[in-house]
Amino acid sequence: MTKYFIQFAQSHEEFRLPELESLAQIENVKISYNKEEYKNNCPFLIIEIDNEEEATRLVKRAILIKNIYELWGVGKIYEDVHTQVKAKPERWPAYDYKSFKFIVSAFGSTCSSDYQIRIIDSFAYLGFKGDIDLKNPEVTFGVLEDYGLDSVPPLEPFMIYFGRLIASGNRDLIQTFNLKKRKYIGNTSMDAELSLIMANQALAVPGKLIYDPFVGTGSFLFTCAQFGSFTMGSDIDGRQIRGQTDRSVKSNVEQYHLQGKVLDTLVFDICHHPWRDNLWFDAIVTDPPYGVRAGAKTLGRKNPTKRPLTIDGTHEGKDYYPPTKPYEMSEVLSDLLEFAARFLVLGGRLVYWLPTLVDEYSSSDLPEHSSMRLVSNSEQNFGQWSRRLVTMEKFKDNIIGERTNIHNVRGVDNLSSVYKKNDVNSNEAETTNTKEKKKPGHYLFREKYFSSKSDKKQIWTRNKDQNRDDDTDNTT
Amino acid sequence: MRLVTHNMLQCHVKGCNSNNFPLQLSDVEIEIQETDFNPKFLRNMLSKLEWNALVKTALEINITTLPNVLPNDLDEEFLKMLHRVLLETHIKQGQMICPNCNHTYPIKDGIPNMLLSETET
Repeated sequence: MTKYFIQFAQSHEEFRLPELESLAQIENVKISYNKEEYKNNCPFLIIEIDNEEEATRLVKRAILIKNIYELWGVGKIYEDVHTQVKAKPERWPAYDYKSFKFIVSAFGSTCSSDYQIRIIDSFAYLGFKGDIDLKNPEVTFGVLEDYGLDSVPPLEPFMIYFGRLIASGNRDLIQTFNLKKRKYIGNTSMDAELSLIMANQALAVPGKLIYDPFVGTGSFLFTCAQFGSFTMGSDIDGRQIRGQTDRSVKSNVEQYHLQGKVLDTLVFDICHHPWRDNLWFDAIVTDPPYGVRAGAKTLGRKNPTKRPLTIDGTHEGKDYYPPTKPYEMSEVLSDLLEFAARFLVLGGRLVYWLPTLVDEYSSSDLPEHSSMRLVSNSEQNFGQWSRRLVTMEKFKDNIIGERTNIHNVRGVDNLSSVYKKNDVNSNEAETTNTKEKKKPGHYLFREKYFSSKSDKKQIWTRNKDQNRDDDTDNTT
Repeated sequence: MRLVTHNMLQCHVKGCNSNNFPLQLSDVEIEIQETDFNPKFLRNMLSKLEWNALVKTALEINITTLPNVLPNDLDEEFLKMLHRVLLETHIKQGQMICPNCNHTYPIKDGIPNMLLSETET
């Protein structure tokens, strides 16, 4: 094994290691690193990989990795770095006559060009005789200093890394799929960077079939197809898929030249789906509707006592839209996990977003299923609420009848009406219920999200009380 | 909609549980769009598709290139022919009718509408 160091992008930090692990699996590259050394506030990670070819393969489709370098020296002071570089002079001759360039950069600080030149000169003992070529060098060396993220950087870096650039990630794709350049988007379209990370989490590779049951305007169809997978999507709302005449999921497919990979989009409700029973999908990648921007709907009537106008049951009208009713978040998730357990191939992944209120979240909120195991859970924080990208893997055959464990929230669906009717001062019925069972942080997410805006003080005070109760339970 | 997708779908009207596949194509408008050949994907799907249903559906739209029995030896020539049928043949307009309950699912601009009315779910 050879030592390399990764330079991550300083963005979506919680997603970086899960992506790295997914890439290692996709490319079948053995990696080894010290998890203790990894820090969200530092973009560098030392990693061992067998060889350069594998290191290149590992990062070639990475979204959160900027570069990977062969590690020549690392230390808190330059003296230590130079000692390590000088300890292996046998590495130098290969680059004696190559055109080259040096990069000097400081994370969390800036360095003047005078300083950069001084640093570069300090490596003069390497004795490279090739031309300096800043545009297309045959080999690039990097000196990367880490000053941390404090608003006032320290005088000396925490750490200095020096090495030879091996390969770069694929962050250019973020621009390719930039929503600002996409012809057709909706208010729930997922931003490009996260859509691409999701494709990596799904292990999207050529020849696989990947499905999005809440496809909307199609964000994941494109990024998974970009990596060679064949994709399909469905949505209860056909208007989202169709868009307008020249702006639709179809026009996006054409914009990205993915006609051969994005197979089809269909209109149906995932609760009443027409898939034949089979292990069709290698991955399911989706952003379930949770009602913040688009209210989740399922087939049915809000008020079941209302009767349809015609009783004949068929819908002869061409643009028939059946009535829909709101779809509770915890119910959406339960259905999604059961669907995944039934239709994913063994080893197939479910990658989805779980919205949650930060104060109420606990890791036990994650829905579980006996056939699915958790791979990773990364938070994107928006202050009071956040969403978590959950990656699960189907690790054993699904036995019909084994159901999702979502802490019995289905049994207390009437809570929904309690939330709406009661003002917070007279919420006795609700308090009784919450004492019996802790609800997941995403339970009634929509109601909480909106009430926290209009009625912030009351609901957050109540949540604090609830947390205090939980704490006492734990300590006694 | 491509024929590969069609082979994955069945009628899902409540109570319609037998003879509900394959959905019969009717009044269809077909378009051929060439795409890159990917033998890996074809092999992946072939193990899951219902061959007899595929042959039957293909005949409904006058595709006669499929053998009645899936051959053991899937050579490149065969896979290329299959690629044409499964992935390059699009149903742009038309209907899919359940052979059991006669429910009709419309296909408009290549997008099948599989929504059921409330009395059917």
